[in-house]
Amino acid sequence: MKTWKVGVLFSETGATSIIERSQLHGALLAIDQINARGGVLGRPIEPVRYDPASVVTRYGELAEKLIVEDKISVIFGCYMSSSRKEVLPVVERRNALFFYPTLYEGFEYSPNVIYGGACPNQNSVPLANYLMNSFGKRIFFVGSDYIYPRESNRVMRNVLRQGGGEVTGEVYFGLHAKADDFAAVVDEIMQVKPDAIFSTVVGQSCIEFYKAYHAAGGNGRICPIASLTTNEGEIHAIGPEASAGHITAAPYFRTINSPANRRFLKAYEQNFGSTVDVTSCCEAAYSQVYMFARALEETGEMDTECLREALLGASFDAPQGQIKIDPDNNHTYLQSRIAKVDDNGEFVIEFKVRRSIKPDPYLVYPAIHDWSFRTMKVAGGESRHE
Amino acid sequence: MSDPIQDLRDLHALVVHPRDRSADELMQQVNRIGCNFDHFWPLPKNLPEKFDLVFVDVTDQSADSLKSLITSSSKSPCIVAIIGYENPSVLNLIFEIGAHSVLMKPVRAAGVLSCMLMARRFQQEQLSFKKDLKKLREKLENVQKVNDAKFILMRHRGITEREAYDLIRKQAMAKRTTTTEIAQSILNAESILSNMGGT
Repeated sequence: MKTWKVGVLFSETGATSIIERSQLHGALLAIDQINARGGVLGRPIEPVRYDPASVVTRYGELAEKLIVEDKISVIFGCYMSSSRKEVLPVVERRNALFFYPTLYEGFEYSPNVIYGGACPNQNSVPLANYLMNSFGKRIFFVGSDYIYPRESNRVMRNVLRQGGGEVTGEVYFGLHAKADDFAAVVDEIMQVKPDAIFSTVVGQSCIEFYKAYHAAGGNGRICPIASLTTNEGEIHAIGPEASAGHITAAPYFRTINSPANRRFLKAYEQNFGSTVDVTSCCEAAYSQVYMFARALEETGEMDTECLREALLGASFDAPQGQIKIDPDNNHTYLQSRIAKVDDNGEFVIEFKVRRSIKPDPYLVYPAIHDWSFRTMKVAGGESRHE
Repeated sequence: MSDPIQDLRDLHALVVHPRDRSADELMQQVNRIGCNFDHFWPLPKNLPEKFDLVFVDVTDQSADSLKSLITSSSKSPCIVAIIGYENPSVLNLIFEIGAHSVLMKPVRAAGVLSCMLMARRFQQEQLSFKKDLKKLREKLENVQKVNDAKFILMRHRGITEREAYDLIRKQAMAKRTTTTEIAQSILNAESILSNMGGT
């Protein structure tokens, strides 16, 4: 039987494998569900997957391989910006369509990419507001040393300054930093006593950092680590004791109590045994596969131009709520939520922005008082509201 | 100098380009970046004052018509030339019209932002250099005037250079004016007196 072949490029091993495996599962789950209902126009979707093993240059090579050897023109993949930058020239040169289900730092547009994660305007501003209102104005920055953390921190610094906040420190670490490497910065944090820590440490070292902070006596209930990237997968690995009280802003959390999310989680559990690694990036990968399949149903062919035309402006009832691809910039209108980890290591959603936020990838200075970023309190972790 | 990155969204951009795929790509990207923009084609005679940055397709245009367009706005806007060929005659043309940056056809989204910023920065730098140069020139002239006036005083009164300068400065303070003004008066007076002596 003829199939619709799509490329899937997530690392199953290496530094960013925790999060990328969850994205892989999200994509595969959507493919399974679509195929179980008869596929697209009677043909199943066939994922062709390679493991770039968290090695940045491998992403570009494997994207090339998918397109040239496997004759595939639609690829889902990538977590880190550096890996996306490897794939970008390949998909542009070969005119393939690339789905990127990860939040990133913005300032990019390619007609060959559909961006499914949040830009800084969709979650940094609500998070900065929340931190300053709930904890205080002195924030310490810790990040991994690559483009996303540096740009995120630039945005955060600007938003904080507008609100009268202060950055009390800014330190970067390699992607493979261990607990020992964080010892000095944790000491510094204990001395400086900021009101909160903004962390853009990603991957395995994120877990090391939270644990090192906890081991040194850091308490999330008093001075939380706030992040845009630490989600369910990392919290699970950190453990409830060391992660309690810490904060994450994201479009999706596993604990959203809506029918769409309950269906999504149930299916995920059936396929993969548990839902511990369901994250916002996983949900984004899942939703992007669905949006692709809907577009394919319309076009009936894998042609990049036709698919793009069908995708731009399309909306989808995702587990997070309704999302829509912005025809102006190929990014996605997303929900924005802020959640705190409770004693059981689960995110409890505290605030959300009422409507999905328009992506603005080229926003240099987000304004803190923009009405569209205003959050509303969520009672009982959203359960009574949806 | 203002920060070109911070001021990005306050820019009024103009795209002077035939309505084709390059123009569409460019305008969509300018829109994504978040600038106000307008589109003109064919090449207008005059440039409205409100535009800070002009993308102009220079293909098959004469340097004269481009220059007269650019100089028609007193605001001296930032110019980004859009070129189809990279040959010496086209490159000469963009030098001649004083373009601040260049985009190559077909225009694609990536690179437009950097190009706008480089152009803005280059233009702002040029403007501030020009301003500095003008200031320095004036200053130099003033110093020269004061020097000449000092020598006149030294000659007439048989005083030292230091004393001559102090005299000029005291006069300036008493008359609440600048040392340059006083120096100019001395030079004027000297010239009148010496003319009188000549008759």
